[in-house]
Amino acid sequence: MNFSNLIDLIRKNIQTYIIIIALVAIWGVFAIGTNGLYLSPQNISNLFRQMTVTSFMAIGMVLVMVTGGIDLSVGKMAGFVSVIVALFQRDVWFRFIPDQPILAAFLSVIVGLMVGTMFGAFQAYITAYLGVPSFIVTLGGQFILNGGILLATQGKTIAANQPGFSTIGQGYLESPVDWILGIVVMIILFVMVFLTRRNKKKYGFQLNPIYKDLIRTSLISLLILVYIFVVNKFNGVPIPVIILAVTAIIISYISTNTKFGRYAYAIGGNREAARLSGINIKKEIFLIFSLMGLLCGVGGIVLASYVGFGTISAGQGYELDAIASCVLGGTSTLGGSGTIFGALIGALIMTSLNTGLQMMDVAPAWQYVLRGFVLVLAVIIDVFFKKSNN
Amino acid sequence: MEHDIILEFKHITKTFPGVTALDDVSFQIKRGSIHGVCGENGAGKSTLMKILSGVYPYGEYEGQVFFNGEELILEGSSIKQASEKGIAIVYQELTLVPEMTVGENIFLGKEPVEFGSINWDKVYCDTQKILDEYKLDIHPQDKVKNLGVGKMQMTEIAKALSEDAKVLILDEPTSALSEAEVAQLMKILRTLKEHGVTCIYITHRIEEFFQIADSLTVLRDGRVVTTNIIDAINSQKLIHHMVGREMNERFPKGNRKPGDVIFEVTDLHAKDHKDREIINGVSFSLRRGEILGIAGLMGSGRTELVMTIFGEYAKITQGTIAMEGKPLSITSSHDAMKHGISLVPEDRKRHGLVLIQSLFKNLSLPNLERFAGFMRINKNSELIECLKSANELEIKAPNLFIPAESLSGGNQQKVVIAKWLMSSPKVLIMDDPTRGVDVGAKYEIYKIMNELAEKGMAILLISSDLQEVLGMSDRIMVMCQGHTNGILDRSEATQERIMTLATGNCLEKQNHEEVLQ
Repeated sequence: MNFSNLIDLIRKNIQTYIIIIALVAIWGVFAIGTNGLYLSPQNISNLFRQMTVTSFMAIGMVLVMVTGGIDLSVGKMAGFVSVIVALFQRDVWFRFIPDQPILAAFLSVIVGLMVGTMFGAFQAYITAYLGVPSFIVTLGGQFILNGGILLATQGKTIAANQPGFSTIGQGYLESPVDWILGIVVMIILFVMVFLTRRNKKKYGFQLNPIYKDLIRTSLISLLILVYIFVVNKFNGVPIPVIILAVTAIIISYISTNTKFGRYAYAIGGNREAARLSGINIKKEIFLIFSLMGLLCGVGGIVLASYVGFGTISAGQGYELDAIASCVLGGTSTLGGSGTIFGALIGALIMTSLNTGLQMMDVAPAWQYVLRGFVLVLAVIIDVFFKKSNN
Repeated sequence: MEHDIILEFKHITKTFPGVTALDDVSFQIKRGSIHGVCGENGAGKSTLMKILSGVYPYGEYEGQVFFNGEELILEGSSIKQASEKGIAIVYQELTLVPEMTVGENIFLGKEPVEFGSINWDKVYCDTQKILDEYKLDIHPQDKVKNLGVGKMQMTEIAKALSEDAKVLILDEPTSALSEAEVAQLMKILRTLKEHGVTCIYITHRIEEFFQIADSLTVLRDGRVVTTNIIDAINSQKLIHHMVGREMNERFPKGNRKPGDVIFEVTDLHAKDHKDREIINGVSFSLRRGEILGIAGLMGSGRTELVMTIFGEYAKITQGTIAMEGKPLSITSSHDAMKHGISLVPEDRKRHGLVLIQSLFKNLSLPNLERFAGFMRINKNSELIECLKSANELEIKAPNLFIPAESLSGGNQQKVVIAKWLMSSPKVLIMDDPTRGVDVGAKYEIYKIMNELAEKGMAILLISSDLQEVLGMSDRIMVMCQGHTNGILDRSEATQERIMTLATGNCLEKQNHEEVLQ
């Protein structure tokens, strides 16, 4: 890698750097504003847990937006799933298998995932095969789901707090289990560095200097360990954070290392070129919106478990948070580009703002105003940097 | 003598970081003449025109431009200034709003307003006046999206004229036009000349200079090679000036011997989604190692035919497509590729490339199945294969990780060709493979085509450039209104014969004079 390549690399990733710097800056401001309370183990733990629900949707939204679509129904879909799951807990599991919390939790998850995927597939079919723009389909979907939530709850709050099920959203992985997990992940990361290098060598490619790979991997490992260290001072690693990490890794892998992922980016980059390259666009779009439904299922389950209730307002406005996270993380609203990692950082920023402003007792009205400004400001900075690159 | 010169460039130098785009360019343009500017891509034509139209404002370049004897000073963001002074540019990519009418487009941004509301009667009345004055055959109330490319071009010209342009810059106006439309454009330009409008004419089709231009400036690597009266030069010499090396012929000689028939289309009929029969009776056969040219006017169904064969356009209602004797059923590009058919599409930016993606992702897009199982793409072998094919076609790029949009037109086209060659097709369809590509890159693409044919690949070549079809093909199929109107052997094909067939006549009854009018 020569000098100009390095500059190219920095240029290509400048968005990522800026957003990370922004995140650190936001944390800094809040840390000062709350006399360090903001960075307390308890708050860090809560922060990451709170970001999980919208993060599941943001992850799916990246793929949807990469293909040039949008999904406005995700918030209500997660809400609907959470309500259905709660309903099943109260009216089915509690009645027929009251003494088997683990099985009940397991069945709740299955039901939640199925409901999400099925509704996702329903919208996906209309978008992909009947050719209705996703904006319209999912706007309609949002209304339908809202009605569905009202019908299912009859306007009442439904408890979803059986002990097994609650663990999903409220549980912790405590020391030393989380330490062991962290170290295993670390070992896997380092082994992968060497495997990738060996593979590249086999094909005769020039390799990066090894210290670069090692520094990068060490930094990631260090972040993981610091995180575990900090949250262990409170209760440990929240279970939903682990579910989110696994989901993010899987979807990220799919987006960069499989045909499915590559086709999504090609469709968003140039639909016609993708079509003439033999890509089955309808099938691809169908699968992506269905996957979005599945991820809403995951989000809805975590939501129900974390809150402990299915309520009529569940998931209200989450779709906007998810879209904002993607945009903050560099996903193009025109399609063709965007990363899962970026969306996660975006979600973390949105959540950081939420909790920080709450801790500083900012009035809710001003919270909205500030969050809106941050979103638009981020895009302005992005546009500015893209221009100066050209 | 002084006022005879409308435009003069004096020692223009324009540098970009690392590149000198224009180097001490000086030449003059006579009032009321049609002045051709030619050169390969990157020779500096566009940069020069951008200075003239104010995209690069005064002060960003060295030297002086004199317009009507006065120094032309265009300040920043002054594209409007240029048009106020009477310099208008008609871009290669048309800049009309498709959903608006001709009149709305022409008056866009300068609508006549009375008491805050637009006087539409005046818009259409004035539009009609302009159209009549220059004998442009368009209706002011037609929506632009319903016009053909030729008429869109006319609208664009009318728009420039409505601003009272003294100098009209035409940047590759004919690259998307059929022969008939080109002829009409030439007529319009001559009318403009009679009205005293000066035209600067840029094109890659050098024959057009001899048809229309009064004088000519040749640029190479940012310098003026020669600025000449047109009579003193021939096309051989012109090409020599442009590329700076002797190019004995525009088309490299191939040494190919077509083998047995590999691909056959018999009596093909097809209907598009609006149920119009756009293909009605196409038959041809293609042999191994043969280049079959398809000629025809715009709207004759050339592109529609190959897109249908490729499974991506119209529905076949009758007739067969057969590969190696076996009939094929193709309903998508995926099917076509599976059967060994590849298509280099007509418009590389719209159909060929994902411009924002890197070269290697573009190259491997139709071929991912070779590198990927259900789960994983083997990126290493993907890269190796892409490198190999990029090297084979001599694509000039620093590496394969840069986005496709950063390459020149010729290299982009090579990427599109390479992308489709990686799937090792038996039949390669090339739809206008050299459109908007400079002379040097054209020659390289021709060479690639010859090599492929020599290796036994069967090639179907569509081109709107008749010279190209004549120069490259072993046989030429001429299409007219969706059907085959004759297949000519290379030895018997002439420009006149092709035009006769393309306009719907039979060769027996041909009458050159009539046809050419």
